[in-house]
Amino acid sequence: MEIAIIIPLLAAAVQSGTPILYATLGEIFTEKSGVLNLGVEGAMIIGALAGFIVSRYTGSPALGFLMAGFAGALATSIHGVVCLWFRGNQVVSGLALTILGAGLANYLGTSYVGISAPGFKTMAVPLLSSIPVLGPIFFNQDILVYISYFIPPAMYIFFTSSRFGLGLRAAGEYPAAATAAGLNVAAYRWFGIMVGGFFMGLGGAYLSLAYTHLWTTNLTGGRGWIAVALVIFAFWRPGRAVLGAYLFGGIMALQLRLQALGTQLPSSILLMLPYALTVFVLVISSWRKKTSEEPAALGVNLEPVD
Amino acid sequence: MENQLPLIRLENISKSFGRVQANKDVTLEIMKGEILALLGENGAGKSTLMSILAGQLVPDTGTIYLGNKPVQLTTTDKAIAAGIGMVYQHFKLVNAMTVAENVFLGQKGGFWLNKQKMCRTVEQLAGQYGMTVDPRARIHDLSMGERQQVEILKLLHRKSTVLIFDEPTAVLTPSEADNLFDTMKIMVAKGKGIVFISHKLEEVMAAADNIAILRRGEIVDRVAAADVSSTAELAERMVGREVLLQVDKRVVEPHQSVLKVEELSGQQMKEINLEVRQGEILALVGVAGNGQKPLVEAICGLSKPLPGTVTLLGMEWRKFFKKGGWKNTLSYIPEDRQGLATCQGLDLLDNFLLTTRGGFSRGPWLKREEAREKANLLLEEFDIRPPDLTAFAWQLSGGNLQKMVLAREFYRKPRLIVAEQPTQGLDIAATEDVWNLLLQARNRAGILLVTGDLNEAFALSDRIGVMYNGRIVDTFRTDNKEKVEQIPQMMAGLAIS
Repeated sequence: MEIAIIIPLLAAAVQSGTPILYATLGEIFTEKSGVLNLGVEGAMIIGALAGFIVSRYTGSPALGFLMAGFAGALATSIHGVVCLWFRGNQVVSGLALTILGAGLANYLGTSYVGISAPGFKTMAVPLLSSIPVLGPIFFNQDILVYISYFIPPAMYIFFTSSRFGLGLRAAGEYPAAATAAGLNVAAYRWFGIMVGGFFMGLGGAYLSLAYTHLWTTNLTGGRGWIAVALVIFAFWRPGRAVLGAYLFGGIMALQLRLQALGTQLPSSILLMLPYALTVFVLVISSWRKKTSEEPAALGVNLEPVD
Repeated sequence: MENQLPLIRLENISKSFGRVQANKDVTLEIMKGEILALLGENGAGKSTLMSILAGQLVPDTGTIYLGNKPVQLTTTDKAIAAGIGMVYQHFKLVNAMTVAENVFLGQKGGFWLNKQKMCRTVEQLAGQYGMTVDPRARIHDLSMGERQQVEILKLLHRKSTVLIFDEPTAVLTPSEADNLFDTMKIMVAKGKGIVFISHKLEEVMAAADNIAILRRGEIVDRVAAADVSSTAELAERMVGREVLLQVDKRVVEPHQSVLKVEELSGQQMKEINLEVRQGEILALVGVAGNGQKPLVEAICGLSKPLPGTVTLLGMEWRKFFKKGGWKNTLSYIPEDRQGLATCQGLDLLDNFLLTTRGGFSRGPWLKREEAREKANLLLEEFDIRPPDLTAFAWQLSGGNLQKMVLAREFYRKPRLIVAEQPTQGLDIAATEDVWNLLLQARNRAGILLVTGDLNEAFALSDRIGVMYNGRIVDTFRTDNKEKVEQIPQMMAGLAIS
């Protein structure tokens, strides 16, 4: 293939990887605090709808994007109530959140199907975008993509070098130790759930405000699940999440292009590619000992206090 | 010293859990520069008392004084702020993090962490107290002794003035324990107060300045370590009666053979031959890891005895385990009473039914009412506390759980008993109970006792076999004084002339 085909493909990979990246980072943040949230898909789609509606009525996609984050956090707060207040099963609660989110967004969004809202446009970064190869791939995107470049390093520094990040990781590794050290583990977990939900909402909004400027039913199309799988692929490291997200973005972009080119392959096989890759990636990641990387208390509820 | 104000004073502390009174009217003072040992049997209320001090439990009545002002230690935070720190028996350390990160976890300060400075601080602090742990190491790479040092460093860094150690030597090697006592002495020399919970008499005598003895939730005695003449005296004070670690052993005439092992090899075992008859106890002694484990597993049906033959109650191995049967057969009392012998998350009734269900079934159904009645009688007979069948196995102390296992197994009226370290980790009173139970069972059964404790072997056995490097080096009668004296050499694999 020629470079003229590859570069747009890679640029598209970054673009379609970005919503997955936001969601994956959100799930990493939540899981670091020890809470397994399988409701990523639900939080994403609620964020997508909230962002779309706010943008449509205020005319400000930026405000829509921000509100999508809060909507995502609001959605995952249900998970917090179930798991932290009532110590319910985290898996079940997450699944319920996915179903609830999808149902709610599709119901509330019925009247918006096919309608467009103001969204983000491609904005080349001066100077950087003229770098050969890298420029068109990374710096000829919309502003949400640029924002997403800053989050993984920020998250990494937060986890490793901040007092708060240390407490958050302790809450996910060994809550009893954190409690004995005088930390309020439940508060850290609430923080993990809410911030995580905020990023999931942002990921959803990317789909409705930048990737498309339209609302359709089932807009997220399983990207939330891919994010859950990518957390394992990334070994809970924000940096590796970037790699995984762009890999999936690439497959999605490739699949679209192949369909457009009119290959002989049935489209259902092409559509299946990202999900088949998810299974493949999980198998590969489990191969390596992932146990040492996984937060030790992931999915384990806090003991009730007497 | 007499007029000095204590660091902490507990006054008339009482605490109950339901009907069980864990602490009753306890008054205790912790002085600056003193190592106070809190001695008591399992379930005497030591841990409850210290959990109250560490802010994990709130007492029903009573007051805690910090210096001379009363304080409410309702959370661990408040206890830490009051300068009280606890080194738990199960370390509260985050394995995936470094030593320095663990020490600084939960400490107030700016938003950012300065890793270099953290490591330097930890290193200096460790040096001051004679500890050597590397602040950059991750916890999961450290030995138990080093992990404990991290726990101590956490408290020292928080400027704790009173440090509580909950059975600190349980997980340590002897040399690590010595290091710990050295560190404790430096700490009290620097003006800290230490409370140290234990039921190991020798180390209490060696390390403590003063000893407070807790029995059934009450402080029954308080002595200076210097005034105690022997561990026997201390033991007597602890259980409140003369402890006769000599149990009454009458000779029972051995009858037919219940276990015969011939030429058993493989899995670290080399040509093992042994025989146990009804009415006798054969003790297998030796340092752990010399083939006892595979031998027990082969006898109890956990692994195939190949090559070699094992005959149980006159039946060949395969036939015996195929036939099964819950009564009048084999009872296995494993060393791992919390894993192999019981299910931690099941209540006592279900645990009772684990091996006795054969006696309480009608077709596919269990006769639970009948089982409940029987099990309740057993709880009473064996004095298992709490005497409550709905309690979960994990809620029982080690001694009570072991008695529960014995009660269950003896209910099956076994003709062959394999008991593995049956009194490990038990206090004196519980040990004595278990020994008596085993001796009673001997009338009906043959017992293979695998133990690392020579006293236990001498007290119970009729014959002793010594294991070394997969072989039974020698088997002899326990009253054969000449051979008995050679046991240490045999255990060490030294040639006997």
